[in-house]
Parts: sequence; structure tokens; C-alpha cells
Amino acid sequence: MTRIANTPSNRPEVIQSLIDGVDRYNPDNVSILEEYLATQCSNREVDVMANLAILKLYQFNPHLINDQVVNNILVKALTTLPEPDFNLCLYLLNEQMVTEEPVVRLITLRDLIEQARFKDFWNVYEGGDEIYKELTAEVLGFEDSIRKNVAKAVAMTFQSIEAPILEGYLHLKNQAFSDFVKAQGWTESNGVVSIPINKDNEAKTTVLTENIKFEQLTKIIGHSND
Amino acid sequence: MNYEEDIDITNEVDMVVSAYPVQDDDLDEELLAADQSAQQYQEVQIPEVVKKFILLFHRSVLENNVYELQSIYEHSFNKLTEKFYANESWPEPEGISSLVNDDQVFLTLYRELYYRHIYSRLTPTIEHRFHSYENYCDLFNYILNSEGPVALELPNQWLWDIIDEFIYQFQSFCNYRNRIKNKTKEELALLRDNSQIWSCYSVLNVLYSLIQKSRITEQLLVSKNGGDMVEAAGEYGSRPLYKMLGYFSIVGLLRVHCLLGDFTLALKMMDNIELNKKQALFARVTACHVTTYYYVGFAYMMMRRYADAIKAFSHILTFINRTKQYHTRSYQHDQINKKGDQMYALLAICVTLCPTRLDENIHSQMREKYAEQSNKLTKPEEALQVFEELFLFACPKFISPNGPNLEDPEVVEQGVAFEPVQHYTKIFMAEVQHSILLPTLRSYLKLYTTMGNAKLASFLEIEPEQLRTLLMMAKMRSRQIKWVEGTLLEGEYQGTSDLDFCLKQDMIHVSEAKIGRRYGDWFLRNINKFQDILGGLELSSRA
Repeated sequence: MTRIANTPSNRPEVIQSLIDGVDRYNPDNVSILEEYLATQCSNREVDVMANLAILKLYQFNPHLINDQVVNNILVKALTTLPEPDFNLCLYLLNEQMVTEEPVVRLITLRDLIEQARFKDFWNVYEGGDEIYKELTAEVLGFEDSIRKNVAKAVAMTFQSIEAPILEGYLHLKNQAFSDFVKAQGWTESNGVVSIPINKDNEAKTTVLTENIKFEQLTKIIGHSND
Repeated sequence: MNYEEDIDITNEVDMVVSAYPVQDDDLDEELLAADQSAQQYQEVQIPEVVKKFILLFHRSVLENNVYELQSIYEHSFNKLTEKFYANESWPEPEGISSLVNDDQVFLTLYRELYYRHIYSRLTPTIEHRFHSYENYCDLFNYILNSEGPVALELPNQWLWDIIDEFIYQFQSFCNYRNRIKNKTKEELALLRDNSQIWSCYSVLNVLYSLIQKSRITEQLLVSKNGGDMVEAAGEYGSRPLYKMLGYFSIVGLLRVHCLLGDFTLALKMMDNIELNKKQALFARVTACHVTTYYYVGFAYMMMRRYADAIKAFSHILTFINRTKQYHTRSYQHDQINKKGDQMYALLAICVTLCPTRLDENIHSQMREKYAEQSNKLTKPEEALQVFEELFLFACPKFISPNGPNLEDPEVVEQGVAFEPVQHYTKIFMAEVQHSILLPTLRSYLKLYTTMGNAKLASFLEIEPEQLRTLLMMAKMRSRQIKWVEGTLLEGEYQGTSDLDFCLKQDMIHVSEAKIGRRYGDWFLRNINKFQDILGGLELSSRA
């Protein structure tokens, strides 16, 4: 089972000590963290704690706010859905920013993914005169990450799903679609994609039995010797 | 006429008071500054009992008599407050300074109580707020920046209350600062010119410094992993005053970060404190215990780890229920009860968003307090409003680190400031909105083992495609990070619902996790009963 510790394995020492210590409040350190964000964007990695640290510095020092940085952080948070990172970022912004244009659009995207309305998501994303694509331009691999999450959601819910529906969710067609399906370890036949049984899509009836450990009985059994 | 009476009274008063520049028979009011006369009037009015109390108090502080201080602090002070100062402030510190030989340390401690009383019974003015802040600075300066650790010792309850009140006054000030509309020009000017008073940085600085000075982190690590405690604690940390202040500051930071909206950092603060340990330090002071769990649970809830939030709330609510009879005497009874009510509200929210089995007692208490709301929460039409109501009631009063920009005349004129509580409520509600249909979906799923997608869609009055997305969302929601071991932020993805389903093309298959028969409890009870019967038989056979 994947352990979530919010510590990506490739977080550099400098950043680690920044996050842990009191230095995170020093506004001069904001550039280090912003650079680290740029690395994340180009390396397709995510480090939530570091990004939240940037937002916290912005919260304390409004004059430092860099809209593009905020934008990128939110887009990165979109890629980790269904984790609550996007919301956590929103809490650290102030009211004015939440009602401004780019953030509002990103919130729309977030809502669509959260409600699993994947088809609508791709429609909105592709439409609107490339506005959305512009917003996510700096974050490389955005679409792939979204697709990965869609695949996760689908694998959790379905044991078999009709191909056209899945194509709509993934926004892939023909060859790209088949490649993706194969890469996920699913099989396709007769227009139906089958997903192997995993822990989540099993729907088995389980009976929770009581598990009494011996140690819990020592008191009572010991007592009976008196 | 008044002054004649005063003179009579002073003649009967102790020698101690007469050490003051007492009035001669000069009744010329104009000669005395308004301040001075008020001061004399006040000081002259101090009842005998109170004076004796202050002397005893002072002596106990000097002797580091923690046991005596505990009873003074918890009982005598409150009794006298009820009797003499229920609606007015205690004697001003200048007024009693002669009683205590001008002992500045004692006066600082006295002022802490003096201002705390004003905050709780009366309404503090801006001067009170400023002076109280300065007093706290004096106190913390004394503790942190004297040459070497100070010899002072105070009861744990008081130490916790110092930190708690410090943060409370900070919170109160932030709210006060935000209400620009009704301020006078003088007040606005004072606020503008003194932006460092009650600034976020200084509050954080105090808490972090206390943690650092006491080396509480090192001490906690040693007690968890073994090692030399004396070395880890250092000169300051080995003294109980510093150790406990450092420890309480950790909980203080947990609270402050939650108030500022940084929930992950809040939980990170608790890295070295194990919540499930039996003899945890925070359990020594009930208020601290309750506060810790409230904020931990709240942070989990905002991070969408509802299962963990439910566990935290259930734990502390069971504790409060079990120890109810011991609290009625404590003056914190009301506070603890209010927190308990807030946690029941949050529990109601969490249980709707993530249905789990609750402990019997907690469940019944929750239904008792929030019966109407609990029912409404499961109905899509009315749920949103109830969610918002409960959230607003139960959430902490969030603050923002900077106040409104008072330099900007437009801001001052419009009198509108950024309200953190509204901001957080809006974000939280947006998220809740997604889950509105889930309880209805769940109730349908419980009734069937298999059902066609189209059929269920028609029951719910939505399109089949919408139902598919709803099911996917339900699945995603039911997989949360749950704490298994390690620090509070860690966890594993686990299913949290006892209702599971999967889709085979257009067929929905549902399964439920059933609870097997629990026989352990039954056996235990009967074993005990049997034992009693046997005992009774033996007794009667002997008789």
C-alpha cells in the first residue's frame, strides 16, 4: 500500500531544512522555493509541502505575491487530485485572489475533476480559445497526470467498461487509446475494456469478525486462579 | 462628603496601605490629578480579604510553593472574583504594588490575571489590549532573556492558561482590528502607528522561542527513542517551567497554524507528540487535552481525512463524557462543554461526508444535540444550509496574518476587511456541494445487490452518464488517507466505507461489509456475573 508521507524522495536538503525550520518565515527565502517549483514543473514532480510554504510566505507578505507562481502551484495541485492539495492551497490565498480570473478557471477545472465529470473536463479544457491550455502551459506533463488520475478512478470503479465511454474519459482515440489501455494492463475486446480485479473494484461481501487477542484475556483468566 | 468618608476608612486600614501618600485633610480636588485620586480611591477600596489574598499569593510565588499556588490560582482567585469583582476589574497593579514591595515579577504575573479577567468579564479597550501585549512581552522577556533560567515555578494549569490566553488575545485583537467601521480616528491612528503590537510574527516568535529554549523537541525524541534526557534538555529544559511552556507552545502552534489556515503545517507541529500514548504530557491539563484533539480533528477534516477526524473527535468526546463529574467544579467547565458541542457538530458533518460506525454513546449524544440537523444533512435540498450552519458554529475563529491596510484611505472609508471565516467557509462549502447526492445514492445502494445503471439513474432522477460519474466520485471519495502509524501527516489509502460496489459495464454490483456477531463482550459480562454469584453463594454458605 502506498505510504503517503508528503515527503517526495527527491526533495533536496536545502528545501527540507527550509520547511522544517523557522527559516520558512524569512521572505528572502521565497526565491529558493520558487525556483524549486520551476524544477517541479519541468521534471513532472510534485512537492506539496514546499508549495504550501510559498503560499504561506505570500500570505504573510502580500507584496511578494507572484501570480504566475500561484497559478503554477494550483495547476500542480490539480494533477494530484483526488488529494486535497488544491483546497489546502486555496485556504492560504486571500479572498481577492480567489475571485480573480485565472484562479476561478482553475477552480472550475478542479470541480469537474472532483465530480468525476471527465468528459466535461476535456471539453472545457480544449475549448475556450486555448485559455486553459495557456494556464497549464508551464507545467509539463499536465495532461498525462490528469489521464493517470482518470485511469485510477476508472480502475477503482469498473470491472468492465465500454470503450467509447472510456475514450471520452481519457480524451484519447484509436491508436493512442489502445496504447494507453495496454500500458495500464487492461485488455480490450469487442469494444469493451476489461480491468483486472484489484482491491478497489472487487465488491466482495466481507464479514467483520471480532478479533480478540489473547493478551486482552490475561486479566480475566488470571483472576480465575484466585 | 465622599472624601470625609474616605479619611475615616483609611484610619482603620492596615499600616501597609498607609505607606501610600495618603490624603491630608486637604480636600482640594483640583490639586490631585484625576488619575491619582482614582487610584487612591481604588486602592483604598481594596477589601481586607483581597489584601490578605494578595500577600499570600506573593509569598507563595516567592517560595515557589507550587502546591499552594495551584489552590490559590484555581480556587481562591475565582472565589474572590465572584464575590468582589464579578463586574469590575481587579485592583490596578499600581494599586497593590506597595503590598508586594514593588516586586516586578509578581506584578507581571498579577497583570496577566488582571487583564485576563478584563477580557473574560468586561470589554477590553484598545489601551487594555496594548498594555496586555506589553505585559506579555515583559513576562516572556523575563523568562527567555534573563541571564540563565529563572527560578520561578508555576502550576501547569497556569502555564497552559498563559499560552492559551496569549493566543486568545492575539485572535481577539485580529478580529478587533478587522472591524474598521466603528473605530474612532484616535483608535485608527493608534493601530496604524503601532503595527508591531500583536503582530503575527511576534506571536510566532514567542512560541518558537519557547520551544527552542526548552529543547522540548529533543526531550520528546529522547523519551521516544531513548537517550540521555539530561543532556537533551539542557540547562533550561530541565526546569519544569521551561519544559511545560515549551510543550504547551507546540500545542499553541498547532492552534495558531489552524487559525491561519495552514493545516498541514499545524499537524506537522505535532510530529514528536504521540497522541495515543497513555501518559502524554498534554493530558495533565484537561483544557490542553481537549484543545489538542479539537485542532487535530479539525485539521484532519479540512484535509479531507474524515476518518481520522472522526477518530480524534470520538476519542476526546468519550473522555469528556467519562470525566464529566470532575469538571463541574472547575471554572473551565463551560469552556470544555462549548468545545464539546462544537466537536459534536463537526462530527455530524464528518459522519455525513464519510459514513462510519460511531461508538454507541457518542452517537446517541450527537443525535440528542443535533437531531434535527442530522436528519436534514442527508436530504439534498436542505443539507447545504445545515452544513454551513454547523461549520460556522464549530469552526475556530480564523484570522489573517495582516490586518486591513490602514494606510489606504479607501480601505478605511469603506470599512471592509478580509474576513477569513467567510473565506474558509466558502471553500469548505464548495467541496461539500460535490457530495450532496451521495447519502441518497448510498441509501439506494444499500437496498440492492445488483442493479442496472439505467434503472438506478431513473430512481435518482439523473441521466445514466451522470450516474456513472457519481459512482466514480463516490468511489474516489471513499478512499482516503488514514493514519496507521508514524507522524500525524502519514497514512495509507484505505477504504472507509462499509458499502462497496463495482460496475460491470452497465450493471452495478453492490456489497456490504457486515459485522460478525460479537461474543467477547457477552462472555466477559457473564463471567463477571457468575463470579459475583459464586461469591455470594460462598458468603451465604459461610454464614
